[in-house]
Amino acid sequence: MPSAAAVRFEIEHALEHRFPSALTPSPQSIQEVIQTGIQEVDDRLGGIPVGAISELIGPSSSGRTTLAMSIAAQRTMSEQVCAWVDVDDAFDPQSAASNGVDLSRLLWVRCKNRPAQSRARANRSRPGPWARLDQALRATDLLLQSGGFAVIILDLGDISPEHGRRIPLATWFRFRQATDQARSSLVVLNKESYAQSSAALVLECAKNRAVISGGTVLSGIAFETDQQRQRFAPKVVSMRKPPRSTWTASPQWAAEKQE
Amino acid sequence: MIPTLYACVHAAEFPAQALLRLRTDLRLQPVVVLEGKPPQEIVCSLNRLAKRRGLVCGVTRHDAEETGGIHVLARSAEVESSAASVLLEYVSRFSPRIEVASSNLSYSCVLDIAGTERLFGPSKELAERLHSSLADSGFRTSIAVSQNYHAALMKAHASRGINLIPTGEEAGALADLPVSALDLSEDHLETFVLWGIATLGELAALPEVELVMRFGSDARIWHELSRGIATHVFRPFETALRLEETYEFEDPVEQMDSLLFIGTRMIECLSHRAANHMLSISSLSIHMRLEDRSAHQLTIRPALPTTDRKFLLKLLQLELAAHPPQSAVVALTISAEPGMSRKMQLGLFAPQTPEPSRLDVTIARLKALVGEDRVGSAVLDDSHRPDSFHIESFSIDGKPFALQATSPHIALRRIRPAMPVRVVIHGSKPAAFRMEESSFQIKEAYGPWRTSGCWWSTSQWDAEEWDVLAMNASGESRACLLLRDCLRNEWRLEAYYD
Repeated sequence: MPSAAAVRFEIEHALEHRFPSALTPSPQSIQEVIQTGIQEVDDRLGGIPVGAISELIGPSSSGRTTLAMSIAAQRTMSEQVCAWVDVDDAFDPQSAASNGVDLSRLLWVRCKNRPAQSRARANRSRPGPWARLDQALRATDLLLQSGGFAVIILDLGDISPEHGRRIPLATWFRFRQATDQARSSLVVLNKESYAQSSAALVLECAKNRAVISGGTVLSGIAFETDQQRQRFAPKVVSMRKPPRSTWTASPQWAAEKQE
Repeated sequence: MIPTLYACVHAAEFPAQALLRLRTDLRLQPVVVLEGKPPQEIVCSLNRLAKRRGLVCGVTRHDAEETGGIHVLARSAEVESSAASVLLEYVSRFSPRIEVASSNLSYSCVLDIAGTERLFGPSKELAERLHSSLADSGFRTSIAVSQNYHAALMKAHASRGINLIPTGEEAGALADLPVSALDLSEDHLETFVLWGIATLGELAALPEVELVMRFGSDARIWHELSRGIATHVFRPFETALRLEETYEFEDPVEQMDSLLFIGTRMIECLSHRAANHMLSISSLSIHMRLEDRSAHQLTIRPALPTTDRKFLLKLLQLELAAHPPQSAVVALTISAEPGMSRKMQLGLFAPQTPEPSRLDVTIARLKALVGEDRVGSAVLDDSHRPDSFHIESFSIDGKPFALQATSPHIALRRIRPAMPVRVVIHGSKPAAFRMEESSFQIKEAYGPWRTSGCWWSTSQWDAEEWDVLAMNASGESRACLLLRDCLRNEWRLEAYYD
């Protein structure tokens, strides 16, 4: 009776012209990751993939910005350089500093709506956030092409989904190629996932509860993160629903108190 | 010991020579050059034909004009300076090491010609070529070649034509020169006249020790000079490096491409000239003279000094695109500030950072995209005022970061400018607020946090901050930072917690 190896070899040989190595499992590449700085999330995920797009999605007050600042803080502490492309000019430097971000190593690009030169031009110009969105995508492109940025955070946090969904998939595909070549991590803050298959990791964030001390002081907010998609995860079929990571962030005055 | 050989070029009566060099019509006529304010002008320099008429330096204008047939010219420092630079340019073709030893009325320079035999042949041949080259450019010079610097200098001053002093025969060559060839004071000259010492040969014959006993330590130097054995530390003259290129257009230029076409060539020349001096360009200043008689000034300052032409041109292009001139350009001047070339030791385990020159271009492009003041790194101001910061230009300084890892703190998403809201108060706490088209019910409100400051100035602030958990009609929940401006009694939505 032929051995299993011999049978496998015979089948692979027969199918070689159509499916090379049909029965041999493809080698798994080890994806390089960077720590987020939040223990609960790192324990669950391992980290944010390097050279790939990661999306942090969720509604307002779901902890996306806190998580992104924590990632930037980890990179700047290791003397790397990050960039924050801010579509709505919502970045708060004081929050970033209290989260441990070295602001001198963070390039902040603040998009804005340019004033129309004339009435005719104003009529032709696209309304709403398109100008800012266009600037943000172009800026991200430039930063990825420049290379050397460990993390680029594209903050589309306040862009409504109907606008965000209209970003062409070709743009995300180009970003994916560029991040892979530049070995940068592109972290996108969204209300929902726009990059789709180009994203290596999609984390859904949500607010869990407010932490109150003494009934009068907001001493923290507990957030939940749930992994929606992870391309480089080991292919193990789980019979259970994966648990959510729950973590708590304290307000800024707590950081000042620690100092 | 490294062999030395010097060639001294001496142009006597330099004020006259500088003026007559460009006035060929006066070369065969007696000419005197006057200096001083009228009517006290005196002759400071004159040509050979004027000397034959019996004129000497120091006579007044009146005396010179009385001689008859004399051309009188005024001394010009600018003409002398340009003539000196031309002379230097000619002699620098024979040696890059030149020391200038000129006086008020003559111009002298000494060339270090050691090792030039293979280029120009023996020193005699070099001296002849040098003499003929300077004669072609309109200078009458005397040249002396010697192994000793001072011997060459004194011989060139005191004689005409070409003089070669063989090695070891310096004392003999200088013996006939008058004692005045040394830089002596009137008293010392008088003493030598009383002693009957007229030439350097006679001075050299005196015993050195007795001479020093009578005149002091200076006498030792005179004795060595007269024997042709005095030493000298050669100090080569270096022209000040001025990296500047100017171009005046025949017609005013409006097209940016035409401007960049000329700019490319100018930057190429500047970077090439800087590289020739082992230097890089640390900044470029672009000065444009415009058709409406105004000027347009731009400055490009790369993160690190460079001679990369393409990189500098890209920066120029981006700067011009960001700050175009308001009217057509009549003249373009680009001046560069030289800097030392970049030296950086890269490490295998050094953290990944952007390449400085590429980062410069990227930031310039980002500024062109979003605005000059909207790209950079944020710096927190030393103030308790909410959202108090300023933007500085981004650069990677490589300083280690002092802070350690911290536990996460809730980040704010600022609303700039803050959105005015209408707030419903219930029991001294905000109960609901309305902004634009949507209204929010406040489930929990924490506060107030009172902040105030700058009461002594117009930028005073006094506010109450409320952390509120709000929900709108569609069930969307938000943690917001509401602020009540106590000075104006206004409510604003400052930020969201996220």
